Amino acid sequence: MEEKEIFVLTDVSLITCIVQRGLADIVVNAATDAGAQGGTVYFARGYGIRERLGTLGVAIEAEKEVIMIVVSDEQADRVFERIYTTARLSTPGMGIMFVSRLEKAATYIPPEVIANMRRNRRKALGENG
Amino acid sequence: MNESGKTKEFVIDNKFRFGEFLGESSISYRKIRFNDIVPAPSFSEDGKLVPPIQPRIKASPTEAVQILAPYISVRLWDQIVSVVPLALYMAVFQVLILRMAVQDPWVVSVGFFLVIIGLMLFLEGIKQGLMPFAETIGDLLPKKSPLWMVLLIAFLLGIGVTLAEPAVGALKAAGSIVDVHKAPYLYAMLNYHTTAVVLVVGAGVGVAAVLGSIRFLYGLRLKPFIYATTTVTLSLTYYMTGDPALEPMLGMAWDCGAVTTGPVTVPIVLALGIGIASSAGKGGGNLAGFGIVTMASLFPVIGMMLLGIYMAGSLDPQQIVTMASATSAMEPGLLSQTPLAEIITGLRAIVPLILFLFFILRYVVRSEARRTGYMVYGLTLSLIGIICFNIGLSYGLVSLGNQTGAMLPAAFTAVENLAERPLFGYYTGLFIALFFTWALGFSATLAEPALAALGITVENLTNGAFSKKNLLYTVALGVAFGVTMGLLKIIYGIPLGYLIIPGYLVCFMLTALSSEEMANVAWDSAGVTTGPVTVPVVLAIGLGFGSAVDAVEGFGILALASVGPIIAVLGMGLVVNRKVATSHGR
Repeated sequence: MEEKEIFVLTDVSLITCIVQRGLADIVVNAATDAGAQGGTVYFARGYGIRERLGTLGVAIEAEKEVIMIVVSDEQADRVFERIYTTARLSTPGMGIMFVSRLEKAATYIPPEVIANMRRNRRKALGENG
Repeated sequence: MNESGKTKEFVIDNKFRFGEFLGESSISYRKIRFNDIVPAPSFSEDGKLVPPIQPRIKASPTEAVQILAPYISVRLWDQIVSVVPLALYMAVFQVLILRMAVQDPWVVSVGFFLVIIGLMLFLEGIKQGLMPFAETIGDLLPKKSPLWMVLLIAFLLGIGVTLAEPAVGALKAAGSIVDVHKAPYLYAMLNYHTTAVVLVVGAGVGVAAVLGSIRFLYGLRLKPFIYATTTVTLSLTYYMTGDPALEPMLGMAWDCGAVTTGPVTVPIVLALGIGIASSAGKGGGNLAGFGIVTMASLFPVIGMMLLGIYMAGSLDPQQIVTMASATSAMEPGLLSQTPLAEIITGLRAIVPLILFLFFILRYVVRSEARRTGYMVYGLTLSLIGIICFNIGLSYGLVSLGNQTGAMLPAAFTAVENLAERPLFGYYTGLFIALFFTWALGFSATLAEPALAALGITVENLTNGAFSKKNLLYTVALGVAFGVTMGLLKIIYGIPLGYLIIPGYLVCFMLTALSSEEMANVAWDSAGVTTGPVTVPVVLAIGLGFGSAVDAVEGFGILALASVGPIIAVLGMGLVVNRKVATSHGR
């Protein structure tokens, strides 16, 4: 095998946010402002509240955008709050958002970050031993 | 915003009052169990689950405002962006460079306002009311009916959508400006036989829809279709260029192609075509959906030229002139007065299309209309929208375009009614006039929303080698030079055939050299560039300009504006390909 090690991230959460088509950029920007690394957006269709709003329902798009944002557990609340307020999720029809705990994640981690963490760990080990 | 990360560290080290902490963090969490909100399941006597009645949500007035404000503002802004800069550009140019005040500025402003409102309502109405119809039909029709029936309906739909296309109204408005003595057949066509004109154009779109659907069904390549259609179109053009009685109609015939491919035709015909293709299992391939636009802009041209030849054979020009002088002496009837005329045109545009779609849905596809409320809402909006748009069209877009066009020649030549002209020397003035149209074509194209969508498709098709920005500017340049050529054509009275035929021959050669994908994109980009705002303005400028320099007719600018982008995009595609090939080390 060429790849000798995989760096696995633990203590990760996934924030999934569903908003009307065209609003994903606002949500991703709010999330990155609050410290998230980025987001993945895909298109979807959603029904429910549109029908229950009566006449006002015409103002709600059935086409939605789903935004997936992977955050660290400590960031999760901050990003969650920021999205909630910027996307005005308290208004009927604006969307829904939920947080799920993830078991593990793996992605590109800058080598200097890994080197730095290794150094810190060695130092801590050295102090203990 | 609170920095809960930092606060957390403090909490560990020091003691804080909880209230203080809450004050720091602006958001407090209140937990609600979802179980408490969801209605408890109820069972009928035989133990079956009864679906619960979902209660209506009553939005408070503030909430209603919060919901409606973004809904309206986004759609309004889209139209403002495409209309206002164009209007300002023309007005500023007129005042600063040509030193002429805008006539009836208030009427024109109200007209533009109506255009914005009308377009907003119309497009939203089409999206809510007509698109679901078209999509359902496109999905179900091929499964339930034999092929000949499907193709017949595609053909009829082509006619229907052309009637509803907002820019078609501009073509009719343009008819009043044509000089009956110089181009009697053209005058007759646009003033007495508008119904025939629109039907022929519609039939052209219908044929295009049929051929496009067949192409999707059998996965045929677009190139042979392009070769065949352009050969026919160019031969007819060549024939008509040679005949002085027929020549004046060429510009209008070619312009019709640009007029048809607007915000109604393209999505509806595409929805049908793609539905047919996907139900036949041939929906895949990233080129699905291309080509219909190209053919929908070429077939109406053929149709119009044939109609022109037919009319020249059957009508007597002398008779038309006498008829024209008789009608101009008459008082305009009640039905041709302003708001009423627009309302009637609006109804005539939308209602047949609705009835036709509804009939097919009900009796051919036999599917219930889903969400009737939304459809009624959408159809009402599109009706109000097209009426507003039509009124605004005559008082805003066409009026200002006409004014600017009529004054533009004053930059370089003497114009009657205007003393102390020309403003500049001949060549300076000519350059200014040409630059004005160049910049107008360039900026109007960049503002066209459909082009951005095409740009994204192209970027995906070429794996980013041909970027979206690249395409936008290439097409805009193509249109800008095309429009400028059109102006030169009017100034020097160059027969349109001399410009169009070589232009399309170049397109021919470049198409043969290009890949199938590039050919698809390039030919479609021509149709995409001419939307409901650009078309009336360019038409009006051309006609106003034409009558000011005493040209026979002012058509043809749009036609040349369609050749430009094809050449530009094909050429650019070849350059990009070359670059990719060399970067791979070959």
